[in-house]
Amino acid sequence: MSKTVLHCKDIVKTYGEAEAAVLALQGVTLDVYRGEMMMLVGPSGCGKTTFVSCISGLLDFDSGVCDILGKDITSMDTEEVVAFRGRHIGFVFQSFNLLPALTCVENVALPLTIANADKAQSYTKAKVLLDAVGLGEKYDSKPKHLSGGEQQRVAVARALVHEPDLIICDEPTSSLDHQTGQAVMQLLQKMKNETHITIIVVTHDNRIYKYGDRMAHMEDGKIRKVEQLG
Amino acid sequence: MFTIAVKILIEDRVKYIGLLIGIAFTAFLVTFAMSYFAGFMTRGFALVSENPSVDIWVMDRAVSSSEATINMSDAALNLVKSVQGVENAVPLYMQDMTARFPNGHFQAFQVIGVDDATLSGIPKIKSTRDASELLHIPGSVIVDSGGTSDKLQTPKYMKDSYPFDGPHLNAATRKLRFGDTLLINDKRIVVAGVSQTIPRFPPRPLIYTTLSNFKRLTPSQVKRLTFVMVKIKSGSNLHLIAQKIQKQTGLKALTSDDFKKQTVMWYLVNSEDVGDMVNMVVLAMLVGFGVTGVMLYMFTQDNLKYYALLKAMGASSKQLRVMIFTQVFMSALIGSGIGIGVCTLVGKLVANGDFPYRMMWFSPLFGLIGVLIVSITAGLISQHALKNVEAEMLFAS
Repeated sequence: MSKTVLHCKDIVKTYGEAEAAVLALQGVTLDVYRGEMMMLVGPSGCGKTTFVSCISGLLDFDSGVCDILGKDITSMDTEEVVAFRGRHIGFVFQSFNLLPALTCVENVALPLTIANADKAQSYTKAKVLLDAVGLGEKYDSKPKHLSGGEQQRVAVARALVHEPDLIICDEPTSSLDHQTGQAVMQLLQKMKNETHITIIVVTHDNRIYKYGDRMAHMEDGKIRKVEQLG
Repeated sequence: MFTIAVKILIEDRVKYIGLLIGIAFTAFLVTFAMSYFAGFMTRGFALVSENPSVDIWVMDRAVSSSEATINMSDAALNLVKSVQGVENAVPLYMQDMTARFPNGHFQAFQVIGVDDATLSGIPKIKSTRDASELLHIPGSVIVDSGGTSDKLQTPKYMKDSYPFDGPHLNAATRKLRFGDTLLINDKRIVVAGVSQTIPRFPPRPLIYTTLSNFKRLTPSQVKRLTFVMVKIKSGSNLHLIAQKIQKQTGLKALTSDDFKKQTVMWYLVNSEDVGDMVNMVVLAMLVGFGVTGVMLYMFTQDNLKYYALLKAMGASSKQLRVMIFTQVFMSALIGSGIGIGVCTLVGKLVANGDFPYRMMWFSPLFGLIGVLIVSITAGLISQHALKNVEAEMLFAS
């Protein structure tokens, strides 16, 4: 079996208190392995976003175990979680979330800038990735001058630039047309195959299921089943 | 991260300009208020400023300002002259008197009597003739508006001057000029010249005349000497001589600089205008805070999503705070520069008129400090907004 990148067991998360309490995660258990693309699917409100927020350390949970790369994130303090996330996790969001004030290169280099890496080396690395995602001509363009698909490709490059072990993609194709969405998924798959990175994709879009290696079905705050794809 | 903070700041041009205007407005108001304060303080010690050759001012021990005085005996002059190190000492008499104009109107003046021989204390007059020549004409005076406007009006036509049928209060008037006459205590005085010295605070018309004429105009009093103006021998120690004068005469002796400082302190304690000025500064800061604080807070709120993104990508709370304060300090410096610059230009315009405006070194400093207080407070409040940043807000649902 491949090395486990993410190990979750019985994660429980409740929003609110007393009578207003909502049980968002009711004991989620899931293992994700190195080099695989895990599709996380389920109806709206089933807890997908809460789950990925918990596993990326963006949200505290009530109980359960969550180890990423063998480290228990509940044992870290806030700043340690932030630093861990900065080193080991990359994100691709539905709404791209590029900084409009920065150029493509600057946006892609952002995780390295935050980590106080050498500017010249960061930009070189960012340019290599922009070339890899097919945006070699757009180094100095600002997000407003890019199409949705191009912006998402910049976001993919940004998620990869600091060579994370895990990328969490939240509805990466929802803001894109079908063709562009497929292109973005092909890009993610290519990157995964080349770098053996682990990718978790939260999605409603059944047209991209085929890019996953496995698929976890969530419902009512629980993983109902995990199936092998392809 | 500094560069990113600056780029985020200037990306939204409209908000950035709004922020700069808010800060510039604060800097302008605070600097203007301080310059106004300096302006009227300068007028407060105008008497000292218009006698730059005086080294030491001697006065009654109870006097703390050039504007609130009590007189001494004439003997004080000789006492001062007898102190070793004093080159010369001349008297200065001051008294408020009411003068009647030829048409029957009256006006309160501060009458200043100066030494007949030296005429020390007489301001420069708008005339080709020498003041000493003019003031030695019996009953002659020099008049000055003292920062007032339209107070020195005399009848335009002879028929309205000293009329037999009573005062002509509604008669047409013109400004006083050479040769015009007034009455003080029913004694005739003649305008020998008009001066334009430093305006007084509070503004009031002035009459300068010789001591002999001053004594003629004032009712007999035992004590009429207000100040003794001292020039010390060259090479003497100013403060030492002042101390000597105090010790030997029992009077108060202050160097010109010390007298100015005491006058300013007296105003700070006694003048209601200082309270008004403080209110103006506080109001300026409140308005500035309202504008700057709200703009900066809105700016941070609008960018919360991006701070959340940076947090998701590993930016520490410290890095985010540094970004906020980079934006705060950059805006504060540029905004202050604009505000103080505009204040300087406006000051140049108003200072040409009769407005008490004087930008001293501390005015822009206060402006900058005011802006920094406002900006740092706004920055702290904005930073508080960061505490509510949840990186999960970036996710679709």
